[in-house]
Amino acid sequence: MTPLEIKGAVAAVVTSVVILVATFTAGGIYRNHRGGETELGGKPLVAEDLAAKGRGFFLRSCAQCHGRDADGGEDAPSLLNLQISGAHMTLVIQSGIKGEMPSFSKKYDAQDTAAIVAYLKGVNKSGVKPPGTHL
Amino acid sequence: MIPWDKLHGATTHFPIALLLFSTLCDFVSVTFKKLPFARGLRLVSFYGLAVAALGSLGAVVSGIALAKGDLWGRGYLGWHHRFVWPAFGLLVALAVWRLVVGCEMSRVGTRVYLILMLLASGFVAAAGYFGGEILLSGSGVP
Repeated sequence: MTPLEIKGAVAAVVTSVVILVATFTAGGIYRNHRGGETELGGKPLVAEDLAAKGRGFFLRSCAQCHGRDADGGEDAPSLLNLQISGAHMTLVIQSGIKGEMPSFSKKYDAQDTAAIVAYLKGVNKSGVKPPGTHL
Repeated sequence: MIPWDKLHGATTHFPIALLLFSTLCDFVSVTFKKLPFARGLRLVSFYGLAVAALGSLGAVVSGIALAKGDLWGRGYLGWHHRFVWPAFGLLVALAVWRLVVGCEMSRVGTRVYLILMLLASGFVAAAGYFGGEILLSGSGVP
């Protein structure tokens, strides 16, 4: 390597480190600035609220068939060990399954469906129920 | 209220595309160095990399705002960040190196540079993939 390339490498490493440190510092300051919007655990309230809201929708429309704890009923399977993505869950909730499950697209808009998906994802994480689940 | 999700989407794709294109141009110019446009390709890769590095600053700022300052996160967001930070650091470093050295690189310098460009492209591609998974999974950020 030429002396100019070595000089360039030093400049490159120094600049990169400085920019990364500045980015992480700025990110940390921004996160702390928004600290008022989070609980002590540091988890955003938005995500918790969403899952709690989804739990409400679930109890209203899904629990009748899938069980109050999403562990299945006589006519519908358990939702505790789902191996599908959130997008797939959204699709099933919105479109239904022909002859098996009705569509909920008229009852729940995209935001409501996202809340139900957030709740289902919560109960699918090693059996740990999301905050807001008291039953 | 600034729509950070839309801004992040608008600012991420240019740096990704420019970095991948710059890497491609470099490889073609080195592989076919006797072609008349090989030097032109090196210039294209140089400017592509410089603009990608500048554009990545906007992508990073909008991304941090979108993730509410969460620089790591969990799940797809965590994987996205695991690839984003090395990619960002490498992209800036490579752009600075090219700015200092220009297009006149030694054989060893060229090899090291190409390997790092390939690595940065891989990191950026992986970061883009997991960024897309965040959207497609419907989970949102965070």
